[in-house]
Amino acid sequence: MPEPSIATNNAPAASVAPKRPRTGRRDGRSAILMMGPNVGMFSLFVVIPIVAGIYLSFTTWNIDNSPKWVGLANYTKMFNDPIVGVAVGNTVKFMLFGVIPTVLIALGLAMLINVRFRFVGVVRSLYLIPAAMSFAASAIVWRYIFLDGPGYGVVNWVISQFGVPPPNWLVSTTYALPALDVIAIWLSLPVATILYLAALQRIPASVIEAATLDGAGLIRRVRYIIWPMVRPMTILVAIVALLSFTNGSFDLVNILTPTGGTNYATTTLIFYIYQQAFAYGLYGYAAALAVLQIVLIGGALVALRVFYLLGNRRS
Amino acid sequence: MSSAKIAHSARVLFATLVGLLMAAPLFYMLTNSLMTAAQTSDLTPQLIPHNLDLHFSNYTAALSGPTEVIYAQSFINSGIFTFFVVLLQWALCVSGGLVIAKMRFRSRNVITALLGVSLFIPILTTLIPTFFVTLKLGIVNTYPGLILPIVAQTGFGTLLFRQYISQMPEELFDAARIDGANWWMILRRMVIPLARPATGAYVAISVLTAWNMYLWPLVAAQSSHLEVLTQTLASLGNQTFGATSPQNIVYAAIVIVTLPMIIVFLAVQPAFVRGLTGSGVE
Repeated sequence: MPEPSIATNNAPAASVAPKRPRTGRRDGRSAILMMGPNVGMFSLFVVIPIVAGIYLSFTTWNIDNSPKWVGLANYTKMFNDPIVGVAVGNTVKFMLFGVIPTVLIALGLAMLINVRFRFVGVVRSLYLIPAAMSFAASAIVWRYIFLDGPGYGVVNWVISQFGVPPPNWLVSTTYALPALDVIAIWLSLPVATILYLAALQRIPASVIEAATLDGAGLIRRVRYIIWPMVRPMTILVAIVALLSFTNGSFDLVNILTPTGGTNYATTTLIFYIYQQAFAYGLYGYAAALAVLQIVLIGGALVALRVFYLLGNRRS
Repeated sequence: MSSAKIAHSARVLFATLVGLLMAAPLFYMLTNSLMTAAQTSDLTPQLIPHNLDLHFSNYTAALSGPTEVIYAQSFINSGIFTFFVVLLQWALCVSGGLVIAKMRFRSRNVITALLGVSLFIPILTTLIPTFFVTLKLGIVNTYPGLILPIVAQTGFGTLLFRQYISQMPEELFDAARIDGANWWMILRRMVIPLARPATGAYVAISVLTAWNMYLWPLVAAQSSHLEVLTQTLASLGNQTFGATSPQNIVYAAIVIVTLPMIIVFLAVQPAFVRGLTGSGVE
């Protein structure tokens, strides 16, 4: 305790006591009381699980018994499990083909709606409204759009108008993952666009005007002014998109391809973890896979940071 | 018209068309929810109900009778889950935000750093151990087991309130202290009323997140009496096509589940934007 409890037990003393100099003020006791529930819950359901997860990864556990220590067995199994490589590959593909288009399209959309006219609020709402939808609800709407069922869905109808036989999106080993990416991009764009719009509005109009007067076309303006100036935001957009795609890589896969796709085509690491634990009861093994997942997310964040710093040095 | 004006109009028109394209899946969902079953499974995709004949009966069919796909209990569960997650987490975050922003105590930096790091470790990645803890507490398949682990994800909210509260002038707090107010009074009478915009932003984002959450309820609420709406929808997505529920009914079900959030979203859009960007957009 940073404060002697005697002083605070004399309730009226607080206002009577001589004023302490501001720099010496300590709010330890009230701070602990006020922060306690927050930190307590956070520790119980966030900090402890992170530690417990590492412990569980060295055990076998099947819910009914207590976890049994098995040393590195789960990790040995992980490195010899060919599906792990497939799942990591799918996850990386899903992230790259999802996050990069999200960043680029969102910047384009933000530039498009960074304009003032009478009904701009209504038009912007059209861009932002998918943010209200869950992965679950959009999964089903998009399933009908990519439809493989009785009639054709819109996408396949359009493709068939060109005389090309349309793919069976969700069953295909080639097109299933890209189809899920399309849905996740659509759902991630609103937040990404909002973030870029805010960044664009911090660029002084005079800078753009000067460049336009100097004869810089749209592409040169984007390349030399807008892109460098929104770069800090690009990192944030990429991080937020990365986390949203992490969610999507479970929700969409589990709802649209509940077996993990033909030949594991859509088995992402998160989905594989869930499957190992809740379908096969291999909780210890799943915990080891989750450690790998956290390492991968950490790696992705470090990579983003390195890209950012390298970019800074160049410019 | 000057060329600048034409360019402006062209840009507005283009922006509107792209916007309509972005929202198209939602319009498609809405129009299909008002069609007959035969029309939704027509070989050519249909965009508008025949003769503008709107079959609102699909909605009642989705909610009751032999084609019922949305159960009242799921609706209630989603409501309870969202309400308590947002309310309890808000209470933790606004008080925690005040503590970190304005109070002096040890380990402040450690706590702030931990909360920050937690933003990058979604519950998804700690699913098994979180389930383990919940199981050990004996609250799997109960409302507390469903709600509390999500309430505990206080990283985003606490840092949001800290950011907002730390911008409140220090003199305000000094004056309140000199007047003899303790920190609880400062929280209740000063910080909460002044932080109303931050609360708006926080509520906007967390209501959407909670209502749309899928994985944790799937794990923590395995018995059907605790099922939330995303689970109900997921089971519709999983089923073999058209085998059990006609498309128009499924569309109606999605509209019923999504509409409350769309209304909420349109109502709180400025707060939502403020919460994400730390300011607004013009």
